[in-house]
Amino acid sequence: MEESKNNIEITDSSGDKYKYGFTTAIEADTVPIGLNADVIKLISKKKGEPEWLLEWRLKAFEFWQGMKEPSWAKLHYDKIDYQSLSYYSAPKQKVKPQSLQDVDKELLETYEKLGIPLKEQEVLAGVVAVDAVFDSVSVATTYRAKLAEQGVIFCSISEAVKEHPDLVKQYLGSVVPYTDNFFACLNSAVFTDGSFVYIPKGVKCPMELSTYFRINAKNTGQFERTLIIADDDSYVSYLEGCTAPQRDENQLHAAIVEIVVLNNAEVKYSTVQNWYPGDKDGKGGVYNFVTKRAACRGENSKVSWTQVETGSAVTWKYPSCVLQGNNSSGEFYSVAITNNYQQADTGTKMIHIGKNTTSKITSKGISAGMSNQTYRGLVKISPNADNARNYTQCDSLLIGDKCGSHTVPYIENRNRKAQLEHEATTSKISDEQLFYCRQRGISEEEAVSLIVNGFCKDVMQHLPMEFAIEAAKLINISLEGSVG
Amino acid sequence: MSKLLHDIKLIGDDIPWLKDMRSAGREAFAVSGIPQPKAEAWKYTKPIRFFANDFIPAPRGESHASNNNINFPFDACKIYFENGVFSSCDDDLPQGVEVLPLIEAIMFKPEIRGKIGALADISKHPFAALNQAYLGEGLYIKVAAGTKVAKPLVIINHITAEQELRQYSLRNLVVMDDSSQAEIMEYYCYDGELKSSYFVNMVNEIYINKNAVLHHYKLQSEAYKAAHIALNSVFVAASGEYKSFCLQKGADLSRNETKVVLSAEYAKAEVDAAYVMNGWATIDTTTDIEHLKPLTQSLQLVKGVIGGQAKGVFQGKIHIAPQAIKTEGYQLHKAMLLSDEAEIDVKPELEIFADDVKCSHGAASGELNADQLFYMRSRGIGEEEARQILIDAYLNDVIAKIDNQEIKQFMSMAANPLKERE
Repeated sequence: MEESKNNIEITDSSGDKYKYGFTTAIEADTVPIGLNADVIKLISKKKGEPEWLLEWRLKAFEFWQGMKEPSWAKLHYDKIDYQSLSYYSAPKQKVKPQSLQDVDKELLETYEKLGIPLKEQEVLAGVVAVDAVFDSVSVATTYRAKLAEQGVIFCSISEAVKEHPDLVKQYLGSVVPYTDNFFACLNSAVFTDGSFVYIPKGVKCPMELSTYFRINAKNTGQFERTLIIADDDSYVSYLEGCTAPQRDENQLHAAIVEIVVLNNAEVKYSTVQNWYPGDKDGKGGVYNFVTKRAACRGENSKVSWTQVETGSAVTWKYPSCVLQGNNSSGEFYSVAITNNYQQADTGTKMIHIGKNTTSKITSKGISAGMSNQTYRGLVKISPNADNARNYTQCDSLLIGDKCGSHTVPYIENRNRKAQLEHEATTSKISDEQLFYCRQRGISEEEAVSLIVNGFCKDVMQHLPMEFAIEAAKLINISLEGSVG
Repeated sequence: MSKLLHDIKLIGDDIPWLKDMRSAGREAFAVSGIPQPKAEAWKYTKPIRFFANDFIPAPRGESHASNNNINFPFDACKIYFENGVFSSCDDDLPQGVEVLPLIEAIMFKPEIRGKIGALADISKHPFAALNQAYLGEGLYIKVAAGTKVAKPLVIINHITAEQELRQYSLRNLVVMDDSSQAEIMEYYCYDGELKSSYFVNMVNEIYINKNAVLHHYKLQSEAYKAAHIALNSVFVAASGEYKSFCLQKGADLSRNETKVVLSAEYAKAEVDAAYVMNGWATIDTTTDIEHLKPLTQSLQLVKGVIGGQAKGVFQGKIHIAPQAIKTEGYQLHKAMLLSDEAEIDVKPELEIFADDVKCSHGAASGELNADQLFYMRSRGIGEEEARQILIDAYLNDVIAKIDNQEIKQFMSMAANPLKERE
């Protein structure tokens, strides 16, 4: 299973578009394991980065050395030895499966349930290259031409550093400075790649931008960095990840997403995260420590985060909104599902600074098996945020008596004109609902998935259509084996 | 030596176990010290601000005027403390109720050993550790099995001392035997114009045995430069019930922390509170309800009104242990901000390890409803009065839950500066 990803990487690396980053195994092998200033210099050199970026990385690294790994989250995992990791992914050359018959059966079953077309299955399993699916001309290339017409920039961040240095220099680290937190600081020092999006003034991005269609998106490695800038009066919807299980052998992921929203602009960011959660006994799985933040700098700007989190052994993720501009608004919709031994500590921060700012938080957590899940959120109203408004709802559903569900919201109000409401509930699937379904001939497992999907509906309806359908199926799969 | 820890001569140092407990308290506090701003449990309250000065325990035998005739509005069995020292107790104690100064109980009631200090965890609560370092002053209250106490017991802690920077450590040990019922009220007050800065460090350890019911009320009305830090640690056995209401309206730094352990089936807790604050004070209500067994139930309602530059803090936690199914835990906090510089910080927390439970919490904050204010103003009610009526109604939600009519009225008056003037 692990081969799958590597194979995609290798096929990709032969493509034209893939100029930068870790292209071949030989090159990658020259970076020694461990983290020090030399490694960072090497990464920067390999990527052909300008001097200012290297300096910035080194400053981050110096700062990181003085930082302590946070321990406040309700997460338990073995201590990570940061010196034993390789900070420059080395794709290993492995035997590629010849056809779908060679691919792990379990993986194929999952694809089947998700309803992924056969051709796409082959790509995901690494049998064929992405190009083979989407005609002879790469879809990505087609899309890029169309986007370029409108002046939209959508490329890897390494390319952006070269082609649009002013934009990158102006905004990189302006939302999440490297001093922000331990994982963000580490990412700033060693980030390998990620996406860069710039929507010019007055442009409504004609299509949903998705990392899935950006050829090298799969190669961004464990320290991904995304920067999205929506200029005045623009709009973009961005999709990250995909519903198909991604078998990834990187244990540690520390990504950063920065979003800057200017006057009257709107950004919609949707994520489906389905990384390897470890096996039934909690062995293995990805550690996912992500810093995501949007700065609503302009007046009337708007950001909405929607996430469906089903993967990873450990998730530490708080997509946040800094509502600086007057009348700006932030939204957070989240479904998090944990099963077996998964742990998730996730939530959001809404920082109200401007006047008449509004925010809405809807968080749905489902824990099953032996898993533990925490909603952790902050709503902060600063003294100037007159008439700020927040509504928060976090609901948790527990399946089985060995899982845990926790809610830790922080509410800080320094303005009397602000109006804040917070509600949280925790319960199990109601026996009445279950009985009602069973009575009508629906099997227990189906009934549970019906009820769970109903429970998540408030969030799912904020996902783009095609995502929503797959995500609904994904929820069922994630909960498999937890009932009865 | 750490701040607040002082070598003073204490009664009972010749009792080895008491001496050991005091040293354990000393050591624990020497390690933890005053909670630093980064301490999660004290995140918003930041006691360090208040303890820029050191506070010294009153030397033994410091003269204190005895003032045992505080105007107390209803019939109750009264126990007086003057400046942190036991002063007197009404003679007509109801039958089945035993009240002793704590130090006497320590000397003559060997059965309390093992009970005292068992509920207030000194490794987690720095101020309880400090309190234990000076262990000796306070009360031992025991209500015999099956006794239903008709009159409320009122413990009046009255501060009159003009001396600056005094530290008063008090501890009450309450044991409710099987199927007993009682009402206990704590009343913290001071002499009219008192301007001294002092620090009251309270610990209540309360055991509620099978089927027993304790209603616990508290009115904290300390002088405006005082600090009042209290920990109520309650253990509830099967079918026992703990119901409390605390109104905090005084002091510069005030914290009332209630920890309830629902240790067996059908144990129940209702922890309600209100706070009213102006000026610069920080006022903190912290709760921690642990549901250890199935079929336990907890309810919390906290309402606050904050004006001036004051800061209101609410931290509430409901913990449900694995297998504690069929439990119910409800919590609601609502606060009203009256001024531009007032602040509210809230952290309601759920920690749930069992699936068949019903838990919820809610928190809301906002200002006085302008429409309601307008409605009253248009009917000729002055602004000040209209505001007070609305605040009154707001707090009445929680005060109305008090069962004892006289105490309800007393609290309602205390919460309302206008009524108090009448």
